[in-house]
Amino acid sequence: MGIVKIFYKDDCPMCPVAKKLGEHLAAENIGVQHYNVETADGLAEATFYHVMALPTILVEDEDENGIGEWRGSVPRIDEVLNAFRNA
Amino acid sequence: METTDLNLFVRTSEETISDWDRSKIADALIRETLIDQDTADQISEETELMIRRSGVRVVTAPLIRELVNAKLIERGLEGARKMHTRLGMPVFDVDSLILHPNKENANVPHGPEATNLTLAERIKKEYALLCVFSEDVADAHMNGDIHLHDLGFIDRPYCSGQSLEYIKKFGLDLPHSLSMAKPAKHPEVLLAHLVKFAAALQSNFAGAIGWDAVNIFFAPYLEGLSDDEMKQFAQMLIFEFSQQAVARGGQAIFSDINLYWEVPKHFENVSAIGPGGQFTGKKYGDYEKESQRFAWKLFEVYKEGDGAGRPFFFPKPLVHITEKFFRTEGHMDFLNHIADVSADKGNTYYVFDRGETAKISECCRLSFKLEKSDLRDAMEPWRMRYCALQNVSLNLPRIAYTAQHDDTKLMDLITQRFLLATKAHKEKRAFLEKLLAHGEDGPLALLTMNRDGMPYLRFDRAAHLIGMVGLNEMVQIHTGEEMHESKQALKFGLKIMAHMKLLTDKIQRQEGFKIVLEQTPAESTSYRFARLDLHYFSPSSGRVVKGDIASGEVYYTNSTHLNVGYPMNPIERVTNEGIFHPLIEAGSISHVWLGESHPYKQALADFVIKTFRHTTNDQIAFSPEFTTCNKCHRTSRGLDDICSYCGSSDVDGITRITGYFTKVSSWNKGKLGELKDRHRVGEYFNEQQKVANG
Repeated sequence: MGIVKIFYKDDCPMCPVAKKLGEHLAAENIGVQHYNVETADGLAEATFYHVMALPTILVEDEDENGIGEWRGSVPRIDEVLNAFRNA
Repeated sequence: METTDLNLFVRTSEETISDWDRSKIADALIRETLIDQDTADQISEETELMIRRSGVRVVTAPLIRELVNAKLIERGLEGARKMHTRLGMPVFDVDSLILHPNKENANVPHGPEATNLTLAERIKKEYALLCVFSEDVADAHMNGDIHLHDLGFIDRPYCSGQSLEYIKKFGLDLPHSLSMAKPAKHPEVLLAHLVKFAAALQSNFAGAIGWDAVNIFFAPYLEGLSDDEMKQFAQMLIFEFSQQAVARGGQAIFSDINLYWEVPKHFENVSAIGPGGQFTGKKYGDYEKESQRFAWKLFEVYKEGDGAGRPFFFPKPLVHITEKFFRTEGHMDFLNHIADVSADKGNTYYVFDRGETAKISECCRLSFKLEKSDLRDAMEPWRMRYCALQNVSLNLPRIAYTAQHDDTKLMDLITQRFLLATKAHKEKRAFLEKLLAHGEDGPLALLTMNRDGMPYLRFDRAAHLIGMVGLNEMVQIHTGEEMHESKQALKFGLKIMAHMKLLTDKIQRQEGFKIVLEQTPAESTSYRFARLDLHYFSPSSGRVVKGDIASGEVYYTNSTHLNVGYPMNPIERVTNEGIFHPLIEAGSISHVWLGESHPYKQALADFVIKTFRHTTNDQIAFSPEFTTCNKCHRTSRGLDDICSYCGSSDVDGITRITGYFTKVSSWNKGKLGELKDRHRVGEYFNEQQKVANG
């Protein structure tokens, strides 16, 4: 199984929805990493993945290949799960 | 004994020989320091006694001053000693300077004017470290924790960017000049105004002078010119800038000209100023064809090179590549044309303005994204004047040696050095404010001239740069890997830069002035830091510095660049180096070293498009290498010891040192070490073209 990376910051309107998605995915035993772009770790990771809009949700397989991405929007949980299934 | 009884003469600094007068010592101490009269009198008596015992007949004023300084130190009056000290240079150093070239800046030729510049710089440097900056800042510079750039130009801001519109609208009306010129009516006169104004600006700024959208703002003057006339005019512009070797210190003006194939959106509907400073009734969007013809002709001249076929060193042409560029008719022809110049002479810089951002490039790689207020200014482009007050670079490898693999300590040390750099900016800012307060009667009169309701230098909008040297080596010391060696190492480098970016945002909110990160060109700083670290952090530093320790040709990798010697293909280099660029607000660049091979222009054009579309790289330039013969005045490809045409060994190598071309013979040792290490990729483009051709 791969991993879901959620990029957010504290004062963005849609970011709480993205964080909630992360909680639901974790409940499904999906690995989730949260990155606050107002921290050095979060900003570094966001820069590496060219994140220009928040929230951004990236899905990677176990070899760190991108298998799904939503930039500036939040997908439904089944869309993320489908990304894993279709990989 | 009365002081007048002493049979002693003093050679004064006013070029006279005076009778000995002890009271002058006490007078100077009272005038220049804060010590009391009794101490001053005692010191003057003791100094006189010392001189009398020596038996000399003639003493110099500097010697007396140093003897007095020694007496101050004996009494523990270090503060007074600093106030009373004299700035200057030993005879040996002056002798050496007059005879030998200065290699700190390869853009300074060797000659009497250059010597004057260097001598003045030495004294101003000392003055800056003693009188402008606090002791901790000065010490951090001296020991190599940080580098305060252009200390020899302490009484000027760092660099400046503006448009032609100021002189088109107001003419050449400079404070204290012997004559004033009304707005130009003819293109040749406007060109003369431009070059003279650039020279005047060079005298008031330490570094680069940049001009925005030069082809667009010249366009209203160029209507009706034939192709030949346009070419002649383009030739005049380039030669006028490149031959300004009679300006400050014999230096050519470090000048950038920004060029556009399209008329950028922010200038499209701006009322155009034409001959006589009058509005023409048209918008700049209406002058697209003239500005395109002019840009085309400029690059024809760049392609031909100078009279010996060498690339022009200045002005540097920066072509902005935007989304609109790709929607503008003829863009592929133009891209191939400027790529041809890249392949042949290397002049073209490609500045990528992605999305809806607009930028003005100022110094060798300083560019600013235009904010809303700037875009309002764009409607009156003579207002678009930007500057950076100072540049301070951090020695990143030094921090890593000190942190000894402790992450928390590493980040904390970066923060401490950052705060020190900010303190240096505040001190320089306060010093310049003091100079500017004298207005048009003061030393920076040009910057205070007010022709449009505000001073020429818009101080409140000035940027303060914080640069970095050796991110690659910092990561190497801390993690054991260079940034090209693993994704983890690259990401750690990103974390460092992200930390610095967040610090920048936070500190500028606190301080209330603009602080931005910049990729320091570090022409001499990367050498200086490496040398100092070899001294202070050996043996660890010996395993990290790049270059050849035995010959002293050592350096750290510039800014956030990857190891220049590692053999990677250029697309990988511009992609990975480009990852850092969004974090560096004041602009960044990746160099593509071509070496002696001559790639196909289509391959370079294709590379430019790929870089724009698929990376976050801010700016690239392709750098070929040349050998120019001083005997037969011909220029060949590659760096050779003898001329391939006439066999003469009286040759010069030419290639890009940091952000500009210059003769290799003028490079410092660190840059020579880097030149040997550079991985050349010219053949890669030829292979790509062969594949494309099937």
